Amino acid sequence: MTLEALFYILVSAAVLGSLYAIMAIGLALVWTTLGIFNFAHGAFIGLGAYLAWSLADPSQLGLGLLAGIALALPILVLVGIASERVAVRPFLGRDNLVLVTVITTLAVASIIENAILLTWGSRAKQLEPLVEGTVSAWGIGVSAHEVAVILIVPFILAAVWAFLQKTRTGTALRAVAQNQNAARLMSIPVTRIFALSFALATVLAGLAGIFLGAVKFMSPSMGADPLVKALIVVIFGGIGSLSGPIRAAYIVGLMEAVLTFSVGIYWTQASLFLVMIAVLMVRPTGLFGKRG
Amino acid sequence: MQPLLEVEGLVTGYGGTEVVRGVSFALAADERLGLFGPNGHGKTTLLMALSGLLPVWRGAIRFDGIDITVKTAEAIIELGLVQVPQGNQLFPELSVAETLWLGSYPKRARAAEKRNLEQVFALFPRLKERRQQSVKTLSGGERQMVAIGVGLMSQPRLLLLDEPTLGLAPKIKDELCSAIAEISQQGIPLLAVEQDVEFILALTDRLLLLDHGELAHELTAENRLEQSEIIQLYFGQGALP
Repeated sequence: MTLEALFYILVSAAVLGSLYAIMAIGLALVWTTLGIFNFAHGAFIGLGAYLAWSLADPSQLGLGLLAGIALALPILVLVGIASERVAVRPFLGRDNLVLVTVITTLAVASIIENAILLTWGSRAKQLEPLVEGTVSAWGIGVSAHEVAVILIVPFILAAVWAFLQKTRTGTALRAVAQNQNAARLMSIPVTRIFALSFALATVLAGLAGIFLGAVKFMSPSMGADPLVKALIVVIFGGIGSLSGPIRAAYIVGLMEAVLTFSVGIYWTQASLFLVMIAVLMVRPTGLFGKRG
Repeated sequence: MQPLLEVEGLVTGYGGTEVVRGVSFALAADERLGLFGPNGHGKTTLLMALSGLLPVWRGAIRFDGIDITVKTAEAIIELGLVQVPQGNQLFPELSVAETLWLGSYPKRARAAEKRNLEQVFALFPRLKERRQQSVKTLSGGERQMVAIGVGLMSQPRLLLLDEPTLGLAPKIKDELCSAIAEISQQGIPLLAVEQDVEFILALTDRLLLLDHGELAHELTAENRLEQSEIIQLYFGQGALP
Protein backbone atom coordinates (compact mmCIF):
# COMPACT_ATOMS: atom_id res chain seq x y z
CA MET A 1 0.00 0.00 0.00
CA THR A 2 1.40 3.32 -0.99
CA LEU A 3 1.52 6.31 1.31
CA GLU A 4 -0.94 8.02 -1.01
CA ALA A 5 -3.47 5.21 -0.61
CA LEU A 6 -3.09 5.29 3.17
CA PHE A 7 -3.71 9.03 3.13
CA TYR A 8 -6.88 8.60 1.08
CA ILE A 9 -8.12 5.86 3.40
CA LEU A 10 -7.57 8.05 6.45
CA VAL A 11 -9.32 11.06 4.89
CA SER A 12 -12.20 8.89 3.75
CA ALA A 13 -12.39 7.33 7.24
CA ALA A 14 -12.49 10.77 8.84
CA VAL A 15 -15.22 12.02 6.48
CA LEU A 16 -17.38 8.93 6.98
CA GLY A 17 -16.75 8.94 10.73
CA SER A 18 -17.74 12.61 11.02
CA LEU A 19 -20.93 12.09 9.04
CA TYR A 20 -21.87 8.96 10.98
CA ALA A 21 -21.15 10.67 14.30
CA ILE A 22 -23.43 13.60 13.56
CA MET A 23 -26.12 11.28 12.17
CA ALA A 24 -25.98 9.01 15.20
CA ILE A 25 -25.68 11.49 18.06
CA GLY A 26 -29.23 12.80 17.73
CA LEU A 27 -30.63 9.30 17.55
CA ALA A 28 -28.65 8.34 20.65
CA LEU A 29 -29.81 11.49 22.45
CA VAL A 30 -33.49 10.65 21.92
CA TRP A 31 -32.88 7.03 22.83
CA THR A 32 -31.16 7.88 26.12
CA THR A 33 -33.68 10.53 27.22
CA LEU A 34 -37.00 9.16 25.97
CA GLY A 35 -36.08 5.50 25.65
CA ILE A 36 -37.42 5.26 22.10
CA PHE A 37 -35.92 4.83 18.66
CA ASN A 38 -36.91 7.73 16.46
CA PHE A 39 -37.46 6.38 12.97
CA ALA A 40 -38.19 9.89 11.70
CA HIS A 41 -34.51 10.72 12.20
CA GLY A 42 -33.69 9.90 8.57
CA ALA A 43 -36.52 12.12 7.32
CA PHE A 44 -35.17 14.98 9.46
CA ILE A 45 -31.80 14.49 7.72
CA GLY A 46 -33.50 14.90 4.34
CA LEU A 47 -35.62 17.82 5.51
CA GLY A 48 -32.54 19.69 6.74
CA ALA A 49 -30.87 19.38 3.34
CA TYR A 50 -34.00 20.48 1.40
CA LEU A 51 -34.73 23.42 3.70
CA ALA A 52 -31.16 24.68 3.40
CA TRP A 53 -31.25 24.18 -0.38
CA SER A 54 -34.51 26.07 -0.71
CA LEU A 55 -33.19 29.00 1.30
CA ALA A 56 -29.67 29.04 -0.09
CA ASP A 57 -29.72 27.98 -3.73
CA PRO A 58 -29.49 30.81 -6.30
CA SER A 59 -32.40 29.25 -8.23
CA GLN A 60 -34.58 29.50 -5.10
CA LEU A 61 -34.44 32.17 -2.39
CA GLY A 62 -30.74 32.61 -3.00
CA LEU A 63 -29.80 33.75 0.49
CA GLY A 64 -26.46 31.99 0.38
CA LEU A 65 -25.44 28.83 2.19
CA LEU A 66 -24.66 30.28 5.62
CA ALA A 67 -27.94 32.20 5.84
CA GLY A 68 -29.72 29.12 4.48
CA ILE A 69 -28.29 26.94 7.25
CA ALA A 70 -28.95 29.59 9.89
CA LEU A 71 -32.61 29.87 8.89
CA ALA A 72 -33.12 26.13 8.39
CA LEU A 73 -32.10 25.34 11.97
CA PRO A 74 -34.97 27.18 13.77
CA ILE A 75 -37.45 25.58 11.35
CA LEU A 76 -35.98 22.20 12.25
CA VAL A 77 -36.39 23.02 15.95
CA LEU A 78 -40.10 23.65 15.35
CA VAL A 79 -40.46 20.46 13.33
CA GLY A 80 -38.75 18.51 16.10
CA ILE A 81 -40.98 19.95 18.81
CA ALA A 82 -44.11 19.34 16.73
CA SER A 83 -43.07 15.75 15.98
CA GLU A 84 -42.52 14.99 19.65
CA ARG A 85 -45.87 16.56 20.45
CA VAL A 86 -47.86 14.37 18.04
CA ALA A 87 -45.79 11.19 17.83
CA VAL A 88 -44.47 10.71 21.36
CA ARG A 89 -46.18 12.79 24.04
CA PRO A 90 -49.69 11.32 23.70
CA PHE A 91 -48.24 7.89 24.42
CA LEU A 92 -45.91 8.70 27.33
CA GLY A 93 -46.47 6.51 30.34
CA ARG A 94 -47.82 3.62 28.31
CA ASP A 95 -46.26 0.24 28.80
CA ASN A 96 -45.93 -0.26 25.05
CA LEU A 97 -44.38 3.17 24.40
CA VAL A 98 -41.40 1.72 22.51
CA LEU A 99 -43.57 -0.23 20.08
CA VAL A 100 -46.16 2.51 19.62
CA THR A 101 -43.48 5.07 18.83
CA VAL A 102 -41.95 2.76 16.22
CA ILE A 103 -45.23 3.18 14.35
CA THR A 104 -45.79 6.86 15.09
CA THR A 105 -42.24 7.95 14.23
CA LEU A 106 -42.38 5.88 11.04
CA ALA A 107 -45.59 7.76 10.26
CA VAL A 108 -43.84 11.10 10.84
CA ALA A 109 -41.01 9.91 8.56
CA SER A 110 -43.47 9.00 5.83
CA ILE A 111 -45.34 12.31 6.14
CA ILE A 112 -42.12 14.35 5.96
CA GLU A 113 -40.69 12.37 3.04
CA ASN A 114 -43.88 12.78 1.03
CA ALA A 115 -44.13 16.44 1.96
CA ILE A 116 -40.61 16.84 0.57
CA LEU A 117 -41.65 15.01 -2.58
CA LEU A 118 -44.74 17.22 -3.03
CA THR A 119 -42.89 20.44 -2.26
CA TRP A 120 -39.61 19.95 -4.06
CA GLY A 121 -40.29 17.14 -6.55
CA SER A 122 -38.29 14.04 -7.21
CA ARG A 123 -35.55 15.55 -9.39
CA ALA A 124 -32.16 15.17 -7.75
CA LYS A 125 -30.66 18.32 -6.29
CA GLN A 126 -27.37 19.22 -4.74
CA LEU A 127 -26.39 21.72 -2.08
CA GLU A 128 -23.37 23.86 -2.68
CA PRO A 129 -20.34 22.76 -0.64
CA LEU A 130 -19.46 24.52 2.60
CA VAL A 131 -16.14 25.45 0.99
CA GLU A 132 -15.52 25.37 -2.77
CA GLY A 133 -12.56 23.69 -4.41
CA THR A 134 -9.97 21.24 -3.22
CA VAL A 135 -7.30 21.29 -0.61
CA SER A 136 -4.00 19.77 -1.65
CA ALA A 137 -1.30 18.53 0.63
CA TRP A 138 1.80 16.63 -0.45
CA GLY A 139 0.47 16.64 -3.98
CA ILE A 140 -2.79 14.91 -3.03
CA GLY A 141 -6.11 16.70 -3.53
CA VAL A 142 -9.06 16.40 -1.15
CA SER A 143 -12.37 18.22 -1.52
CA ALA A 144 -12.43 21.30 0.67
CA HIS A 145 -16.02 20.51 1.72
CA GLU A 146 -14.91 17.19 3.17
CA VAL A 147 -12.06 18.82 5.04
CA ALA A 148 -14.54 21.37 6.40
CA VAL A 149 -16.88 18.59 7.58
CA ILE A 150 -13.99 16.79 9.29
CA LEU A 151 -13.08 20.00 11.11
CA ILE A 152 -16.57 21.27 11.95
CA VAL A 153 -18.16 18.08 13.28
CA PRO A 154 -15.88 17.80 16.34
CA PHE A 155 -16.89 21.36 17.28
CA ILE A 156 -20.57 20.47 17.02
CA LEU A 157 -20.04 17.33 19.10
CA ALA A 158 -18.06 19.38 21.65
CA ALA A 159 -20.88 21.93 21.80
CA VAL A 160 -23.42 19.18 22.48
CA TRP A 161 -21.10 17.72 25.11
CA ALA A 162 -20.63 21.12 26.77
CA PHE A 163 -24.39 21.69 26.79
CA LEU A 164 -25.01 18.31 28.42
CA GLN A 165 -22.17 18.59 30.95
CA LYS A 166 -21.88 22.26 31.80
CA THR A 167 -25.40 23.71 31.77
CA ARG A 168 -28.11 23.07 34.32
CA THR A 169 -30.60 22.26 31.57
CA GLY A 170 -28.18 19.79 29.96
CA THR A 171 -27.54 18.15 33.32
CA ALA A 172 -31.30 17.98 33.85
CA LEU A 173 -31.59 16.24 30.48
CA ARG A 174 -29.10 13.60 31.59
CA ALA A 175 -30.96 13.28 34.89
CA VAL A 176 -34.28 12.71 33.11
CA ALA A 177 -32.58 10.01 31.05
CA GLN A 178 -31.63 8.18 34.26
CA ASN A 179 -34.67 8.58 36.47
CA GLN A 180 -37.80 10.48 35.46
CA ASN A 181 -39.57 10.37 38.81
CA ALA A 182 -36.58 11.63 40.78
CA ALA A 183 -36.21 14.39 38.16
CA ARG A 184 -39.85 15.37 38.71
CA LEU A 185 -39.20 15.61 42.45
CA MET A 186 -36.63 18.30 41.63
CA SER A 187 -39.17 20.26 39.59
CA ILE A 188 -37.39 19.40 36.35
CA PRO A 189 -40.02 19.81 33.59
CA VAL A 190 -39.71 16.30 32.16
CA THR A 191 -42.02 16.74 29.16
CA ARG A 192 -40.30 19.98 28.14
CA ILE A 193 -36.95 18.21 28.44
CA PHE A 194 -38.30 15.55 26.06
CA ALA A 195 -39.28 18.23 23.56
CA LEU A 196 -35.85 19.83 23.94
CA SER A 197 -34.13 16.52 23.34
CA PHE A 198 -36.21 15.95 20.20
CA ALA A 199 -35.57 19.47 18.93
CA LEU A 200 -31.83 19.13 19.47
CA ALA A 201 -31.80 15.75 17.72
CA THR A 202 -33.70 17.22 14.78
CA VAL A 203 -31.20 20.05 14.42
CA LEU A 204 -28.30 17.58 14.51
CA ALA A 205 -30.02 15.41 11.91
CA GLY A 206 -30.62 18.47 9.74
CA LEU A 207 -26.95 19.44 9.95
CA ALA A 208 -26.01 15.92 8.89
CA GLY A 209 -28.32 16.33 5.89
CA ILE A 210 -26.76 19.67 5.00
CA PHE A 211 -23.25 18.19 5.08
CA LEU A 212 -24.47 15.18 3.11
CA GLY A 213 -26.39 17.24 0.53
CA ALA A 214 -23.20 18.58 -0.97
CA VAL A 215 -21.53 15.17 -1.17
CA LYS A 216 -24.39 13.18 -2.61
CA PHE A 217 -27.42 14.04 -4.68
CA MET A 218 -30.47 14.90 -2.60
CA SER A 219 -33.68 12.91 -2.91
CA PRO A 220 -36.76 12.79 -0.67
CA SER A 221 -35.63 9.45 0.75
CA MET A 222 -31.99 10.49 1.11
CA GLY A 223 -32.21 9.94 4.89
CA ALA A 224 -33.07 6.25 4.66
CA ASP A 225 -29.49 5.02 4.29
CA PRO A 226 -28.10 7.37 6.95
CA LEU A 227 -30.85 6.23 9.35
CA VAL A 228 -29.76 2.62 8.97
CA LYS A 229 -26.12 3.65 9.41
CA ALA A 230 -26.98 5.70 12.49
CA LEU A 231 -28.94 2.79 13.98
CA ILE A 232 -25.99 0.49 13.39
CA VAL A 233 -23.57 2.97 14.91
CA VAL A 234 -25.77 3.46 18.00
CA ILE A 235 -26.27 -0.27 18.54
CA PHE A 236 -22.61 -1.00 17.78
CA GLY A 237 -21.38 1.73 20.11
CA GLY A 238 -23.59 0.70 22.98
CA ILE A 239 -27.14 1.76 23.63
CA GLY A 240 -27.62 4.19 26.45
CA SER A 241 -24.55 6.34 26.18
CA LEU A 242 -23.60 9.27 23.98
CA SER A 243 -19.83 8.86 23.83
CA GLY A 244 -20.14 5.22 22.74
CA PRO A 245 -21.90 6.00 19.44
CA ILE A 246 -19.46 8.84 18.68
CA ARG A 247 -16.46 6.56 19.08
CA ALA A 248 -18.25 3.82 17.18
CA ALA A 249 -19.01 6.25 14.34
CA TYR A 250 -15.33 6.92 13.73
CA ILE A 251 -14.46 3.23 14.08
CA VAL A 252 -17.18 2.25 11.58
CA GLY A 253 -15.94 5.03 9.28
CA LEU A 254 -12.40 3.67 9.47
CA MET A 255 -13.52 0.08 8.92
CA GLU A 256 -15.61 1.12 5.94
CA ALA A 257 -12.71 3.03 4.38
CA VAL A 258 -10.30 0.14 4.89
CA LEU A 259 -12.81 -2.40 3.61
CA THR A 260 -13.64 -0.33 0.54
CA PHE A 261 -9.94 -0.23 -0.27
CA SER A 262 -9.23 -3.90 0.50
CA VAL A 263 -12.31 -5.97 -0.41
CA GLY A 264 -13.96 -3.46 -2.73
CA ILE A 265 -17.16 -1.50 -2.49
CA TYR A 266 -19.49 -4.44 -3.15
CA TRP A 267 -18.28 -6.45 -0.19
CA THR A 268 -17.85 -3.54 2.19
CA GLN A 269 -21.36 -3.49 3.61
CA ALA A 270 -21.49 -7.27 4.09
CA SER A 271 -18.03 -7.37 5.71
CA LEU A 272 -19.02 -4.49 7.98
CA PHE A 273 -22.06 -6.41 9.18
CA LEU A 274 -19.93 -9.51 9.75
CA VAL A 275 -17.54 -7.59 11.98
CA MET A 276 -20.45 -6.07 13.83
CA ILE A 277 -22.18 -9.39 14.42
CA ALA A 278 -18.89 -10.81 15.69
CA VAL A 279 -18.48 -7.88 18.10
CA LEU A 280 -22.05 -8.13 19.35
CA MET A 281 -21.60 -11.86 19.95
CA VAL A 282 -18.67 -11.15 22.25
CA ARG A 283 -20.10 -7.92 23.70
CA PRO A 284 -23.92 -7.99 23.51
CA THR A 285 -24.21 -4.47 24.93
CA GLY A 286 -22.07 -3.00 22.16
CA LEU A 287 -18.46 -1.94 21.96
CA PHE A 288 -18.65 0.68 24.71
CA GLY A 289 -21.91 -0.34 26.34
CA LYS A 290 -22.10 -1.26 29.96
CA ARG A 291 -22.56 -4.87 30.80
CA GLY A 292 -25.74 -5.22 32.71
CA MET B 1 -52.95 29.03 63.34
CA GLN B 2 -53.59 27.77 59.84
CA PRO B 3 -51.94 24.42 59.23
CA LEU B 4 -49.13 24.28 56.66
CA LEU B 5 -50.38 21.10 55.06
CA GLU B 6 -53.97 19.92 55.07
CA VAL B 7 -55.05 16.61 53.59
CA GLU B 8 -58.77 15.92 53.37
CA GLY B 9 -60.24 12.55 52.50
CA LEU B 10 -57.43 11.73 50.08
CA VAL B 11 -58.09 8.76 47.82
CA THR B 12 -55.60 7.57 45.20
CA GLY B 13 -53.96 4.46 43.79
CA TYR B 14 -52.60 2.81 40.67
CA GLY B 15 -54.67 1.78 37.69
CA GLY B 16 -57.95 0.57 39.16
CA THR B 17 -56.54 -0.32 42.57
CA GLU B 18 -57.31 1.99 45.44
CA VAL B 19 -54.27 2.19 47.72
CA VAL B 20 -54.89 5.27 49.87
CA ARG B 21 -58.51 5.22 51.10
CA GLY B 22 -59.66 8.52 52.47
CA VAL B 23 -56.78 9.83 54.56
CA SER B 24 -57.17 13.15 56.40
CA PHE B 25 -54.63 14.95 58.54
CA ALA B 26 -53.08 18.35 59.10
CA LEU B 27 -49.55 19.43 59.79
CA ALA B 28 -48.63 22.64 61.62
CA ALA B 29 -45.82 24.88 60.46
CA ASP B 30 -43.61 23.91 63.37
CA GLU B 31 -44.39 20.22 63.44
CA ARG B 32 -42.55 17.01 62.83
CA LEU B 33 -45.02 14.41 61.72
CA GLY B 34 -44.32 10.72 61.21
CA LEU B 35 -46.17 8.30 59.00
CA PHE B 36 -45.74 4.72 60.02
CA GLY B 37 -47.05 1.46 58.64
CA PRO B 38 -45.99 -1.79 57.08
CA ASN B 39 -44.94 -2.10 53.45
CA GLY B 40 -47.71 -1.92 50.90
CA HIS B 41 -50.09 0.05 53.10
CA GLY B 42 -49.91 3.23 51.04
CA LYS B 43 -47.25 5.40 52.69
CA THR B 44 -45.15 6.02 49.59
CA THR B 45 -48.30 6.28 47.47
CA LEU B 46 -49.59 9.01 49.77
CA LEU B 47 -46.33 10.93 49.40
CA MET B 48 -46.42 10.57 45.60
CA ALA B 49 -49.90 12.10 45.57
CA LEU B 50 -48.77 14.97 47.81
CA SER B 51 -45.92 15.74 45.39
CA GLY B 52 -48.16 15.62 42.34
CA LEU B 53 -46.57 12.49 40.88
CA LEU B 54 -49.82 10.57 41.19
CA PRO B 55 -53.26 11.99 40.39
CA VAL B 56 -55.62 12.46 43.32
CA TRP B 57 -58.87 10.52 42.79
CA ARG B 58 -60.90 12.17 45.51
CA GLY B 59 -60.28 14.57 48.35
CA ALA B 60 -58.16 17.68 48.57
CA ILE B 61 -54.63 18.77 49.50
CA ARG B 62 -53.85 22.31 50.61
CA PHE B 63 -50.39 23.67 51.19
CA ASP B 64 -50.15 26.98 53.03
CA GLY B 65 -53.78 27.60 52.21
CA ILE B 66 -53.29 27.00 48.47
CA ASP B 67 -55.17 24.13 46.85
CA ILE B 68 -52.54 21.89 45.27
CA THR B 69 -54.78 18.89 44.60
CA VAL B 70 -54.41 19.15 40.82
CA LYS B 71 -51.17 21.12 40.57
CA THR B 72 -48.15 19.69 38.72
CA ALA B 73 -45.09 18.36 40.54
CA GLU B 74 -43.18 21.40 39.28
CA ALA B 75 -45.68 23.90 40.70
CA ILE B 76 -45.87 22.07 44.03
CA ILE B 77 -42.10 22.19 44.47
CA GLU B 78 -42.07 25.88 43.52
CA LEU B 79 -44.39 26.43 46.48
CA GLY B 80 -41.84 24.80 48.75
CA LEU B 81 -43.34 21.35 49.30
CA VAL B 82 -40.24 19.28 48.63
CA GLN B 83 -39.95 15.51 48.70
CA VAL B 84 -36.63 13.77 49.27
CA PRO B 85 -36.49 10.71 47.05
CA GLN B 86 -35.05 7.47 48.37
CA GLY B 87 -31.27 7.48 48.05
CA ASN B 88 -31.20 4.62 45.59
CA GLN B 89 -33.68 6.52 43.43
CA LEU B 90 -31.22 9.17 42.26
CA PHE B 91 -29.18 9.47 39.08
CA PRO B 92 -26.39 6.86 39.19
CA GLU B 93 -24.27 8.45 36.45
CA LEU B 94 -24.37 12.02 37.76
CA SER B 95 -21.78 13.29 40.23
CA VAL B 96 -22.67 14.41 43.74
CA ALA B 97 -22.09 18.06 42.78
CA GLU B 98 -24.28 17.77 39.67
CA THR B 99 -27.09 16.13 41.60
CA LEU B 100 -27.02 18.83 44.27
CA TRP B 101 -26.92 21.45 41.52
CA LEU B 102 -30.16 20.04 40.13
CA GLY B 103 -31.65 20.41 43.59
CA SER B 104 -31.71 24.16 43.03
CA TYR B 105 -33.65 23.76 39.78
CA PRO B 106 -36.78 25.39 41.27
CA LYS B 107 -36.73 29.13 40.54
CA ARG B 108 -37.33 30.08 44.14
CA ALA B 109 -34.22 28.14 45.19
CA ARG B 110 -31.81 29.79 42.75
CA ALA B 111 -31.04 32.90 44.81
CA ALA B 112 -30.03 30.93 47.89
CA GLU B 113 -28.12 28.27 45.94
CA LYS B 114 -24.69 29.07 47.34
CA ARG B 115 -25.85 29.33 50.95
CA ASN B 116 -27.82 26.10 50.68
CA LEU B 117 -24.84 24.25 49.25
CA GLU B 118 -22.65 25.42 52.13
CA GLN B 119 -25.34 24.26 54.52
CA VAL B 120 -25.49 20.82 52.91
CA PHE B 121 -21.70 20.43 53.02
CA ALA B 122 -21.68 21.57 56.66
CA LEU B 123 -24.31 18.97 57.48
CA PHE B 124 -22.64 16.20 55.47
CA PRO B 125 -18.90 16.92 55.21
CA ARG B 126 -18.46 13.59 53.47
CA LEU B 127 -20.39 14.85 50.45
CA LYS B 128 -17.94 17.71 50.07
CA GLU B 129 -15.06 15.24 49.89
CA ARG B 130 -16.92 13.14 47.34
CA ARG B 131 -18.55 15.86 45.28
CA GLN B 132 -16.79 14.83 42.07
CA GLN B 133 -17.68 11.14 42.47
CA SER B 134 -20.62 9.69 40.62
CA VAL B 135 -23.55 8.74 42.83
CA LYS B 136 -23.31 5.07 41.86
CA THR B 137 -19.92 4.80 43.60
CA LEU B 138 -21.34 5.97 46.95
CA SER B 139 -22.52 3.80 49.83
CA GLY B 140 -26.22 3.55 50.63
CA GLY B 141 -25.89 6.01 53.51
CA GLU B 142 -24.01 8.52 51.39
CA ARG B 143 -26.65 8.28 48.68
CA GLN B 144 -29.28 9.08 51.26
CA MET B 145 -27.22 12.08 52.32
CA VAL B 146 -27.18 13.26 48.70
CA ALA B 147 -30.95 12.81 48.51
CA ILE B 148 -31.50 14.87 51.66
CA GLY B 149 -28.99 17.42 50.36
CA VAL B 150 -30.95 17.72 47.12
CA GLY B 151 -34.08 18.40 49.16
CA LEU B 152 -32.34 21.15 51.10
CA MET B 153 -31.03 22.70 47.89
CA SER B 154 -34.67 23.12 46.80
CA GLN B 155 -35.24 25.62 49.64
CA PRO B 156 -38.02 23.60 51.29
CA ARG B 157 -40.81 25.00 53.44
CA LEU B 158 -41.85 21.44 54.23
CA LEU B 159 -39.65 18.40 53.73
CA LEU B 160 -41.20 15.03 52.88
CA LEU B 161 -38.88 12.14 53.65
CA ASP B 162 -39.57 8.74 52.13
CA GLU B 163 -37.96 6.00 54.25
CA PRO B 164 -34.61 7.72 54.76
CA THR B 165 -33.10 4.73 56.53
CA LEU B 166 -34.24 1.94 54.23
CA GLY B 167 -31.61 -0.78 54.21
CA LEU B 168 -28.99 1.16 56.16
CA ALA B 169 -26.70 0.02 58.97
CA PRO B 170 -27.49 1.23 62.54
CA LYS B 171 -24.46 3.51 62.77
CA ILE B 172 -25.34 5.40 59.60
CA LYS B 173 -28.98 5.53 60.74
CA ASP B 174 -27.95 7.43 63.86
CA GLU B 175 -25.89 9.80 61.78
CA LEU B 176 -28.81 10.53 59.46
CA CYS B 177 -31.20 10.85 62.39
CA SER B 178 -29.12 13.58 64.00
CA ALA B 179 -28.68 15.34 60.65
CA ILE B 180 -32.43 15.33 60.05
CA ALA B 181 -33.04 16.53 63.61
CA GLU B 182 -30.64 19.39 62.93
CA ILE B 183 -32.54 20.31 59.77
CA SER B 184 -35.83 20.45 61.65
CA GLN B 185 -34.21 22.52 64.41
CA GLN B 186 -33.42 25.08 61.75
CA GLY B 187 -37.15 25.53 61.38
CA ILE B 188 -38.01 23.22 58.49
CA PRO B 189 -41.05 21.08 59.34
CA LEU B 190 -40.97 17.40 58.41
CA LEU B 191 -43.30 14.71 57.21
CA ALA B 192 -41.35 11.47 57.43
CA VAL B 193 -42.38 8.02 56.29
CA GLU B 194 -40.54 5.23 58.06
CA GLN B 195 -40.70 1.61 58.99
CA ASP B 196 -38.03 1.90 61.65
CA VAL B 197 -40.03 2.60 64.83
CA GLU B 198 -37.15 3.82 66.95
CA PHE B 199 -35.96 6.14 64.24
CA ILE B 200 -39.32 7.74 63.70
CA LEU B 201 -40.13 8.05 67.40
CA ALA B 202 -36.87 9.89 67.95
CA LEU B 203 -37.48 12.21 65.05
CA THR B 204 -41.13 13.21 65.20
CA ASP B 205 -43.60 14.80 67.62
CA ARG B 206 -46.63 12.97 66.35
CA LEU B 207 -47.08 9.66 64.60
CA LEU B 208 -49.83 8.52 62.27
CA LEU B 209 -50.34 4.81 61.77
CA LEU B 210 -51.43 3.82 58.31
CA ASP B 211 -53.24 0.50 57.97
CA HIS B 212 -54.50 -0.73 54.61
CA GLY B 213 -54.61 2.79 53.23
CA GLU B 214 -56.48 4.31 56.17
CA LEU B 215 -55.33 6.18 59.25
CA ALA B 216 -55.69 3.67 62.05
CA HIS B 217 -54.27 5.56 64.97
CA GLU B 218 -52.60 8.73 66.03
CA LEU B 219 -49.86 8.84 68.62
CA THR B 220 -48.86 12.07 70.30
CA ALA B 221 -46.35 12.86 73.04
CA GLU B 222 -49.10 12.43 75.65
CA ASN B 223 -49.76 8.80 74.89
CA ARG B 224 -46.18 7.77 74.26
CA LEU B 225 -46.38 5.08 76.92
CA GLU B 226 -48.93 3.17 74.94
CA GLN B 227 -46.90 3.43 71.78
CA SER B 228 -45.10 0.14 71.80
CA GLU B 229 -48.30 -1.62 72.77
CA ILE B 230 -50.23 -0.05 69.93
CA ILE B 231 -47.56 -0.70 67.38
CA GLN B 232 -47.43 -4.31 68.43
CA LEU B 233 -51.18 -4.51 68.31
CA TYR B 234 -51.29 -3.28 64.75
CA PHE B 235 -48.19 -4.71 63.28
CA GLY B 236 -47.39 -7.76 65.38
CA GLN B 237 -44.64 -8.67 67.78
CA GLY B 238 -41.93 -8.45 65.15
CA ALA B 239 -42.49 -4.76 64.55
CA LEU B 240 -40.44 -3.68 67.53
CA PRO B 241 -36.73 -4.27 67.82
